[in-house]
Amino acid sequence: MMHGPTGPSTKVVSTAPVLSIGAVSKSFGSVRVLEDCSLEIAEGEIVTLLGPSGCGKTTLLRCIAGFWDADGGSISIDGQEVAPVPVNRRPVGVVFQSYALFPHMTVAQNVGYALRMSGAPKLKADETVASALATVSLTGFEDRYPAQLSGGQQQRVAIARVLVMEPRVLLLDEPFNALDAKLRGSMQVELRQLIKTLGLTSIFVTHDQEEALTMSDRIAVMRAGRIEQVASPDEIFDRPATAYVADFIGVSNFWDAEAQGGQVALPDGKTIETDLSGPVRVMARPHNLRLAPPGDGSWTGKVTFHRNVGPLIEYHVESSVGGAIRVAAMRQERARPIADRAEVSITVIDPANCAVYSGE
Amino acid sequence: MTDAALCAQIAPPRIGERLADALLSGRGIWPAVPAIIVLMVVAVVPFAILLSLGFSDIEISRGDIVSQTFSLTHLTNALTDPLYWITFQRSLNLALTTTALCVLFGYPVAYLFLVGGKWTKRLILILTIAPLLTSGIVRTYAWLVILGGRGVVNQTLMGMGLIDQPLRIMNTHWAVLIGMVQIHLPVMILPLIAVMSRNDSQIMEAAENLGASRLGTLRTVILPLSVPGIGTGAALVFTLSYTTFVVPQLLGGGNYLNAATMIYEQVVFSLEWSKGSVSSLLLMVSCLIVLVCIALATNHFTRWTKGREA
Repeated sequence: MMHGPTGPSTKVVSTAPVLSIGAVSKSFGSVRVLEDCSLEIAEGEIVTLLGPSGCGKTTLLRCIAGFWDADGGSISIDGQEVAPVPVNRRPVGVVFQSYALFPHMTVAQNVGYALRMSGAPKLKADETVASALATVSLTGFEDRYPAQLSGGQQQRVAIARVLVMEPRVLLLDEPFNALDAKLRGSMQVELRQLIKTLGLTSIFVTHDQEEALTMSDRIAVMRAGRIEQVASPDEIFDRPATAYVADFIGVSNFWDAEAQGGQVALPDGKTIETDLSGPVRVMARPHNLRLAPPGDGSWTGKVTFHRNVGPLIEYHVESSVGGAIRVAAMRQERARPIADRAEVSITVIDPANCAVYSGE
Repeated sequence: MTDAALCAQIAPPRIGERLADALLSGRGIWPAVPAIIVLMVVAVVPFAILLSLGFSDIEISRGDIVSQTFSLTHLTNALTDPLYWITFQRSLNLALTTTALCVLFGYPVAYLFLVGGKWTKRLILILTIAPLLTSGIVRTYAWLVILGGRGVVNQTLMGMGLIDQPLRIMNTHWAVLIGMVQIHLPVMILPLIAVMSRNDSQIMEAAENLGASRLGTLRTVILPLSVPGIGTGAALVFTLSYTTFVVPQLLGGGNYLNAATMIYEQVVFSLEWSKGSVSSLLLMVSCLIVLVCIALATNHFTRWTKGREA
């Protein structure tokens, strides 16, 4: 779709990463913003940098785009180090958080900007612009100015504008921030499908875990300038490598325990295996816990609050171990939820799905 | 909620509060009334009186106005007097050249402010605002020291052996022009900086990311977006330099006749108030014509701002 009349260019299928980031670090004054970040991204893969604000994800993005220089480490695209390549020569396209559309240019002029700058022949440029606008379903909007478009349309112009330069790597800096919640959900799915169809290798920055889980092939969770874990959304969610990742992605229950002889005893009497010893923290997701009438188990508590989350009911339980514990139960037709202030006991459904992290 | 609290809540606001709310509501022109009264008293009424002098034949006997009849004589006299045409042309030339030079010298400074670091920005602001804190007369006299026969410029040029005797710069058109540009440059730079720093800084990064060089970014993005600033600055500089009196009077050596110095002579030395009145009117009207042209040109280059509400 994005190619000229000659048809899609044949891409060399190889296992070499398109983008590889090796031990990149960056400081502003005495503040270390990035520390030893390494990441490899394969052809056509969408990787999300996920983390709270100030974790360095945008800094890493800006280093890849070339707006800032990394202090140490290497960034290479298709095996070629990009440090000496100036911003306007890097094969990298950026979709900015604010979209950064040129307010004095029409939609068509915005989208055709990269082609004008590279001196492409006008006739071919017009064709490319038309096909890019068709790709993002904005045909007919050529002569509008950005201020005359809705937020969602502006975002699609921003995407079309980088698509025409056929970047090797697409960088998206929190592109959904400016959209309202409802539009955000549908645009996420749409954008992922578009990027996948075009086969663009992409890095996507967000602090929103739901966005990350929707958009990514792999997620890199960042914390204070370091990459904490890189894995598929399922793996990040089901087997978070650290307590930080577990806490950041989804809802987690934590409690302190003691590992002895390769085992940790759970408060309901079950045990799980571990390589750790000494004080540990155990994590269980709300859907891995079940409530039962009191007296059935040794782990007891009292329901303080419950709420309706779509197909689930989420109970908040003040428990004997771990303090406030959250338990998710499937909603059942005709069955009344457990009342607030009811005494209950808690059991772990599958101990193998609990995670054990070293304490302290 | 207690009954007392409920009553307090639904009780109508006090009269003073209601009055203040009405004044601040944006209906009517009440907040502007004090300024309007002051302007009427100190500007509109005196100007009307002055105009009435320009459009009437006045007979004066023993210091009193005996009769005053409507007449266009002063206006037609002025319009047919070649001295007026030459003087106004000189004023226009001087003001347009000053404006053009201010754009030429001011724009790079504003650009540097836009792309420069924190300290560059601070330095530019200080250097731009500092001259505004001193009197124009002091600044103008400073040029005497620099441009005079034994001034810094002549001393340097002679020291380098480039000239044998001092150049005559003072009391010429060039001295006036140099002074005008220096005095009015901050008035150009400040609106430019204000307009240019309003833009999203990511826009320049986007241009670079899409393959534009620095020059390309300047030409295709920064320059078109700063047109409103150029327009505002040009309008201000033109108005100030077209009607200026101090610089031509001091650096022109008292014999540089522009519109303002001509009016001064007419009113103060030859006591021809009717002539002065007509000259003022012509100055105002011609200034307005140029300002309209600047506004039209600015509008032409900022068509994209229209239909923003659409």
